[in-house]
Amino acid sequence: MTTAHPGRPRRPFVPLPDETPTLSLGAAAPRRPHGARAAGAAVLGAILLGGLAAAALPLVVQDAYFLHSCIVVLFFAYMATAWNFVCGYVGQLSIGHAMFAGVGGYATVLLFTGLGLSPWLGMPVGGLLAALLSVVVGYPTFRLRGPYFALTTIAFAEMIRIWVENTDSVLGIPLNGAAGLTVPLRGESLAALQFNGKAPYYWVIVALLVGALAATWWLERSKLGFYLKAIRGDRDAAESLGISPARYQLVALAISAFMTGIGGGFYAQFFRYVNAERLIGVDLSIDMALMSIIGGQGTVFGPLLGAVLLAPLAEITRGSLGGSLLGLHIVVYGIILMLAVLYLPKGLIAPLRAVLARAGLGGGRR
Amino acid sequence: MDPLILSFALVNGLLIGGIYGGVALGLSLIFGVMRVVNFAHGSLLMLALYAAFWLQALAGIDPYASVVVTVPLLFAVGFLIQSVVIAPLIRRESALVVEPLSALLLTAGVYLVIDNLALMAFGPDVRSASTGLALAPLMLGPIPVNSQRLIAFSAAILAAILLSLWLRSTRLGRAIRATAQNRDAAALSGIDVPLIYAVTFGIGAALLGLFGSLLATFIPISPQVGLSFGIRSFIVVVLGGIGSIPGSIVGGLVIGVFEALASQFVPATSAAILSLGLFVLILLVRPSGLMGRA
Amino acid sequence: MSAPLLEVRGISKRFGGLQAVRDLSFRLEPGEILALLGPNGAGKTTAFNMIAGYTRADSGEILFRGRNIARLRPWDICRAGIARTFQLSKPFADLTVVENLMVGGFARSRDAHAIRDRAEAIADFLGMGRQAQTEVQHLTAFDRRKLELGRALSTEPTLLLMDEVVAGATPAEGQEMVALVRRIRDRGVTILIVEHVMKVIMALSERVIVMESGRLIADGAPRDVVTQPEVLKAYFGEHYAAARA
Repeated sequence: MTTAHPGRPRRPFVPLPDETPTLSLGAAAPRRPHGARAAGAAVLGAILLGGLAAAALPLVVQDAYFLHSCIVVLFFAYMATAWNFVCGYVGQLSIGHAMFAGVGGYATVLLFTGLGLSPWLGMPVGGLLAALLSVVVGYPTFRLRGPYFALTTIAFAEMIRIWVENTDSVLGIPLNGAAGLTVPLRGESLAALQFNGKAPYYWVIVALLVGALAATWWLERSKLGFYLKAIRGDRDAAESLGISPARYQLVALAISAFMTGIGGGFYAQFFRYVNAERLIGVDLSIDMALMSIIGGQGTVFGPLLGAVLLAPLAEITRGSLGGSLLGLHIVVYGIILMLAVLYLPKGLIAPLRAVLARAGLGGGRR
Repeated sequence: MDPLILSFALVNGLLIGGIYGGVALGLSLIFGVMRVVNFAHGSLLMLALYAAFWLQALAGIDPYASVVVTVPLLFAVGFLIQSVVIAPLIRRESALVVEPLSALLLTAGVYLVIDNLALMAFGPDVRSASTGLALAPLMLGPIPVNSQRLIAFSAAILAAILLSLWLRSTRLGRAIRATAQNRDAAALSGIDVPLIYAVTFGIGAALLGLFGSLLATFIPISPQVGLSFGIRSFIVVVLGGIGSIPGSIVGGLVIGVFEALASQFVPATSAAILSLGLFVLILLVRPSGLMGRA
Repeated sequence: MSAPLLEVRGISKRFGGLQAVRDLSFRLEPGEILALLGPNGAGKTTAFNMIAGYTRADSGEILFRGRNIARLRPWDICRAGIARTFQLSKPFADLTVVENLMVGGFARSRDAHAIRDRAEAIADFLGMGRQAQTEVQHLTAFDRRKLELGRALSTEPTLLLMDEVVAGATPAEGQEMVALVRRIRDRGVTILIVEHVMKVIMALSERVIVMESGRLIADGAPRDVVTQPEVLKAYFGEHYAAARA
């Protein structure tokens, strides 16, 4: 290796600015054991094992009400995880994600009633349509930051909700206005994704959640994930490192919208009913965002934690107080949200991770 | 289209638009001074509406007279929200990176709490208040003008003018403007910034107290009424230029006339979609608004 | 003489009524450390941003390895082989040092493990190997500056644009930074520096160019340029020029 001298050889570009000649430049053998790599594999293993363990639940517990509640909680965990995939990692607050759920839900139902297409295909098709919508909405919107972005996403979702609520049919496709659409009963049918018991729905949502968590795990260590985190950190600096913010934000948003759309399709199949207020309204959007933020956005397990803690609140207050205190659980949400923003801005998962790291379980940052 | 009907729609649009502008004043003021988007803005108006309603229902106080209660009451609520909920965030942010989203999330929390407390306390029923004053509609040529709306409209214009003058000419007003321009410099020159923030939030809320009393006589009152006013206030403020007092009124007039005229040609729901579309368009094309500085 | 690595040909930029840069031309040879000097408001930062793609030139060409990059966006300019630092460090505060240094690597490779190895090597190069797993928000200001430099290197640039090298650093830190910049150049990276601190320029660059009011007023070896009355007047003010005379 030549050293510097006054004549200074004009050498061509040397990729690695390092002086130790032992270090080769390309895909070198790692010099240090990669703790991060091992921890990463452990996280993926935890997702898969956790999914398997969760899948065993209906074999033990047969209580339909309990299973129903579990499905609702896991549904919210899935939706929050889908929201987190773009918003948590890029640091933007979307309060319009329900529009993607709406597209997925309506598409699943309409493809089934109109064309007889199985929901197993209808859900991914709905997801693709949601991804398409997300690119149309996201392309202009992602230039905005902070509150402006948040308000614009609300505006888009509200436009779609108001339109669907007041449209009975468009181009011959029945939307049925505010009344919404019901899924016609086919009895127990795997092809129609309709079951008499709760357990099959439970397995579907567990599988979806495992998929979403695995996707987030992949994101954490992928180029896309690094790019999103860089955009979150500083947009100008990200651009100087070869990142086109618009492009990568749109890719992530499209994936997130795809997952959200499939979630909307699951919602339609599970409740056998969709309407604009519940599936496109601000409330679902806020739920997705809040569960992520309170649990810990920009982490793999934060949204799951947030949903597991918050979603049962609604079920419990509804169940034990018999609806006498309508809205109580949302008051509690609001208070938890304020406390979290003030005192745990990285979410409830942050102290948990610190404990895990101290206990030497590795992957402290994940 | 009949020119008489059209001009009736225009006059109504101007009246409603002025009222939108007045309702949005506080949102604009708070953002201009603190850079906080108050998601709970509509909720505070809803509280004021209920205050006016209950004052009439329980104590027989006319909504117009209830101003003497609602204005100080809402000032106190705003002052408290700022000093209890938002101040800790601003204290933390002075050391860290400013994160405007956190403030939005905090006020979203306030929105969730207030709206749902109201739902629990008052129930989902729609209520209404009425004034004992004998108010006949005025005639502007052949066009009838609703006098309750005219009163609220005039109050909005007056409030905007008085607020601008007050910010310009009083000691406290100048301190608020100084704080808006540079928080640290204001603090160095002896201004009690936390107090200024709380007062600003209080004034923003007190304006809603005023409009709560004035609107109670002609709009249906329910726990959900806030959000739609809140969203419309965002539209108005973004259109007029965030932080601009005259911009708030101008933005309100534009939205009011736009909605009134649009609903003459398309169904009312399409008009609502159009005004949301206008909002998105303004944000994307000219985020500084009509009257704002870039 | 070899072809220049970077050739700026008559670029101009106007902001409203202000002509920030007018008809600026200069060349940068491979392996050079060129310093761009000038008083505040001379148009240095505008010129810098035009090369880096953050400001679009109204007219003129910027040839990098013979290709006009004047219309490219920052990320394309990075991929073409030009990296930049920012005057105020802009680290990704909630990522670790190594993660900060990994981001740029994805512009050149898809292999995350190789990128991590390289990021660790860059951390060692910066003398920050022990802080590799530290979150950047816990670093000192000077370490952030070094990280800013390392992050630019992680994109494997041919040309490195530096917006002030030693701003806010102590003399000892300044020396460390100067040594780092030299070592980077010795690895074959060509460097363009915008800098105010004269001593740094004397120690680092073979050639300086001086701007004033958007124009180039001098070009040459540092020692020759700083004694030109025109430069003294522009850069240090009338008094300094008179005192030296």
